[in-house]
Amino acid sequence: MPGAGKRQKRALWIASIPMAVLALSCVYPVFFAINNALKSNKAYILDRLSLAYEPTLANFVQAWTRSHLNEYFINSVVVTVGAVLLLLFVSSISGFALACLRFPYRRLLFAIILASLMIPIQVVLVPFYRTVIALDLVNTRIGLIISYTAFFLPFSVYMMTAFYSGLPRELIEAARIDGARFSQVWWHVMLPLGRPALITLGILNTLYCWNDVLISLLVLQDQRTLMVGIAALRGEYTTNVPLLSAGLVLAAAPIVILYVFFQRQIVSGIAVGAVKG
Amino acid sequence: MSEIELRNVHKRFGSVEVLHDVSLSIEEGEFTVFVGPSGCGKSTLLRVIAGLEEVTGGQIFIDGRDMTDEEPADRGLAMVFQSYALYPHMSVADNMSFGLRMARRPKHEIAEKVARSAKILRLEELLDRKPAQLSGGQRQRVAIGRAIVRDPRVFLFDEPLSNLDAELRVQMRVEIAKLHKMLGNTMIYVTHDQTEALTLADRIVVLRAGRIEQVGAPLDLYADPDNAFVAGFIGSPRMNFLKATAKGGKRLAVGGIEVEVPIATDVGAGTEVQFGVRPEHFDAAHGIDLAMTADVIEQLGSTSYLYGTISTGEAIVAQRQPGRNRAGELATLRFDPANVRLFDADGLRIR
Repeated sequence: MPGAGKRQKRALWIASIPMAVLALSCVYPVFFAINNALKSNKAYILDRLSLAYEPTLANFVQAWTRSHLNEYFINSVVVTVGAVLLLLFVSSISGFALACLRFPYRRLLFAIILASLMIPIQVVLVPFYRTVIALDLVNTRIGLIISYTAFFLPFSVYMMTAFYSGLPRELIEAARIDGARFSQVWWHVMLPLGRPALITLGILNTLYCWNDVLISLLVLQDQRTLMVGIAALRGEYTTNVPLLSAGLVLAAAPIVILYVFFQRQIVSGIAVGAVKG
Repeated sequence: MSEIELRNVHKRFGSVEVLHDVSLSIEEGEFTVFVGPSGCGKSTLLRVIAGLEEVTGGQIFIDGRDMTDEEPADRGLAMVFQSYALYPHMSVADNMSFGLRMARRPKHEIAEKVARSAKILRLEELLDRKPAQLSGGQRQRVAIGRAIVRDPRVFLFDEPLSNLDAELRVQMRVEIAKLHKMLGNTMIYVTHDQTEALTLADRIVVLRAGRIEQVGAPLDLYADPDNAFVAGFIGSPRMNFLKATAKGGKRLAVGGIEVEVPIATDVGAGTEVQFGVRPEHFDAAHGIDLAMTADVIEQLGSTSYLYGTISTGEAIVAQRQPGRNRAGELATLRFDPANVRLFDADGLRIR
């Protein structure tokens, strides 16, 4: 900080110590996982904290092929991409309707959607499962896509409604005078203007879907998604920690790559969503 | 045939009646200005014509066709909003061509029309920019350009100059007047600024609390107001209203003096009336003298305004040649009785 006085500098130093400890506590598990993923099981048992002296990729190969993570990976990608696209489509269109159109019981509908945000998933698991069975969606990817969409939709709709409520009404009115039908207003005006909120939602929902175990375990019983597959690597009595670590690194990699690619949009998306842009 | 005709239009928001039985016809090519204080329903009336608000009762005819229930896009109108309402993610050219693209016009026609409007409004250099990269005046021109491109029968302006600074506002006002001369379209313009109304309009519609108070040419409204509201609203500073008592015939006692005014009908002796004189009519060469104590004098260079009281304690504003009076001193105002406008207790004009 330029021009900071001596006292201020000392205060900054003191404040930086707990921050450094916090940062370390976040980074260490990542280091632990990568480090152990490179060890053999024997090396891990001998010294679980040391650095990997003889690094090996055997764990990754074993996790990817023999533990079927490659199949589970495809399932996760298909389900996550499908659910996120469906979520963005539905939440953008319903956010537009709730924020900008006038129809009877609009407020009541919004209140019901908000109320459903308050219900924990565990409470509705049994009726949810019975519904999935009745619709013959068990063990189908489309079933899981629909389930994710259903569970994460209230928050997405809430966020898009709030975002669209902040846009000036005149934009829609101008488009209507320009001859755009409602579907065209949504496609040409609301969708591009909703970009910052949609990117934020896309990231959040990707994380939720990718990391979910509970819903996936219920719906996709035979095929498994990546997170369920990794959970299955833990044995009841013994666990091959290097193998589990390798699986975790593989599972986290796509999200990290996604973040690296979209870093600027994610940060600006959060900022633009917060302050009127 | 009139271009736009409103027949007994009512508009209610819940239990609040915003427009009460408004009937109005606007001729082809006319520049009509809706003017009135905030909340008088002038913007609502414009939005009803545009089709952005549904009427609660009554009918709207555009070019002889009943358009009461038609979609905004089918009414052949273009609208310029106070906030400009430019699509922020589109370039200037895309903003202007949006309506034509929605109507699926051929590409060469779109390009031609955008180029023509850009030329009229001197926007050629800016076509690739985004609205955020434009100044307020430029955004306003783009908003007008977007309206021109569609070749509408009627232009609607909703307080288009309110967001501009004073200097730019005068400049854009002249541009809009020029545009009307050049295009010759029917234009309806909403404003609360009477200067804009007086300078732009062929005809002014004065509204108050959802009712039309008077419709007429700017100078007619100024010289011959139907009621005290219009008399006070048109003209700046506003008309002075003094309490007067009729003395029988055409004689009135006002501000400690007696005046005979040239009106057609006699006022019964003892009747209380409002005696209206505009500030600019207090510098007459001959007429009746009225003494005032000037508390504050505003010197505007070419003229000065005296703010003060007369002998009865009533506040008064007078416009005088500069340098003739000093604050705190007695000033003698002189007015011609022909410039007096009388209003009864309900504010209606006594002619």
